[in-house]
Amino acid sequence: MIETTFPRGFALRIRPWLGIAAAASFAVASVMALAWAPTDAVQGDVYRIMYVHVPAAWLAYLAFVVVFLASVGWLWSKRPWFDAAAVASAEIGVLFTGLALVAGSIWAKPTWGVWWTWEPRLVTTAVMFVMYVGYLLLRSLSTDFDRRATRAAILGVILVLDVPIVHLSVLWANSLHQLPTVLRAGGSPALDSAMLLTLMVSVAAFTLVYLYFMSARVAIELSRRMTIWGAAGAQPPRLP
Amino acid sequence: MTGLARVGLVASRELSAERRQPDGAVAAVTFVAVLVLLESLVVGPSRARDATVAAALFWIALAFAAIVVAMRSFDRELDDDALDALVVLPGGRDALFGGKVLALAATLGLVALVGGVLSLVLLDLPLALPVHVVLVVVLGVVALAPVVVVDVVLALRLRARAALVPILALPVLVPQLVSATQGAAAALTGDATAALAWSGILLAFALVYGVVGLTIVPAAIE
Repeated sequence: MIETTFPRGFALRIRPWLGIAAAASFAVASVMALAWAPTDAVQGDVYRIMYVHVPAAWLAYLAFVVVFLASVGWLWSKRPWFDAAAVASAEIGVLFTGLALVAGSIWAKPTWGVWWTWEPRLVTTAVMFVMYVGYLLLRSLSTDFDRRATRAAILGVILVLDVPIVHLSVLWANSLHQLPTVLRAGGSPALDSAMLLTLMVSVAAFTLVYLYFMSARVAIELSRRMTIWGAAGAQPPRLP
Repeated sequence: MTGLARVGLVASRELSAERRQPDGAVAAVTFVAVLVLLESLVVGPSRARDATVAAALFWIALAFAAIVVAMRSFDRELDDDALDALVVLPGGRDALFGGKVLALAATLGLVALVGGVLSLVLLDLPLALPVHVVLVVVLGVVALAPVVVVDVVLALRLRARAALVPILALPVLVPQLVSATQGAAAALTGDATAALAWSGILLAFALVYGVVGLTIVPAAIE
């Protein structure tokens, strides 16, 4: 059988360092975003919301792709670590999708003149948010561990189809939302180099925060399960 | 017996159960008919005659009707303890999923026929390209069925599942609802190219969810 476990001792050892790295990079990213990056010639300082909005949206994509991979891992191997990773990533993904929506809305008010408008990127992102709230709801309504994990895994596989729809919606339909400026199909990023560097540092900082949250949340989920199995007097499965 | 024959057997069994006790289909037809009747009252007669508005309401009504029919179908299995017997048969889960999807598509076809005729007559809609309208409706129904059955299966035997299934199904159905609405509106107003393009998206959607459903969903049937 393919070894699909995660080295638990290694995760425990690196978590404090991951936390320190996340906090430090977050501090650097904040200084760069608020003080170092130049003011935009057209939008003024309001564009700086991008340094929260874009990394939050990136993390939402990342988190939901991880839900998909962990779901496939559970369906393939039935190892509890994969289910714990799926629920952890889904919760973080919902959190950051909500943050991306709120940050986008705060940016939209001075730029577009409205908090919300019915355009494809916004609507598909909101739909993605609702989908994963439904995913968490499905989990919360199931009590049996194996059944809950299997049902959630199937939904996790299905829901990932929305991620490319959200990303490509600005290309498929007439959209008020800005077209991709970093991950462009043809050519280099359409962004000032200082702005691009700040954005990359922000994305890296958010990704480290995600990894820290993941390691902590997965550990909580696994220990919760061990407690439940212990209370039920059952033999707990071997955890990674 | 081949897998396809088992699927056909489950579908025909499902349809005969629906014929004997057609509460799901009757509820769905009534629901769609009430929505068509309410439409011109709610949005006004001139806006109700707009092909896009009429098509949007029709497909949203059909999506809810699909949920009603699919949930009633699984309720019937649970009431009779028939599900437990079916899933222990060799290939029973796959056949159950495939058969339910086929039967739901057939029932929805009937609901769509009644709702469509009512919409055309009562709202006095244009019918520029009848064959294209039929194509969009058939593909729209085929795309609707696997997603709804998937979500009903995932919520099987859970408390609050009547609320959970629409929450799970409707966001996933957004591409289907958009394509079916735009395709039907294009066919009604005479835009053949757009109607065919949207039909292609519906076909792709149906294939993706049909294949994903058949591959992994049977594991959740218990």
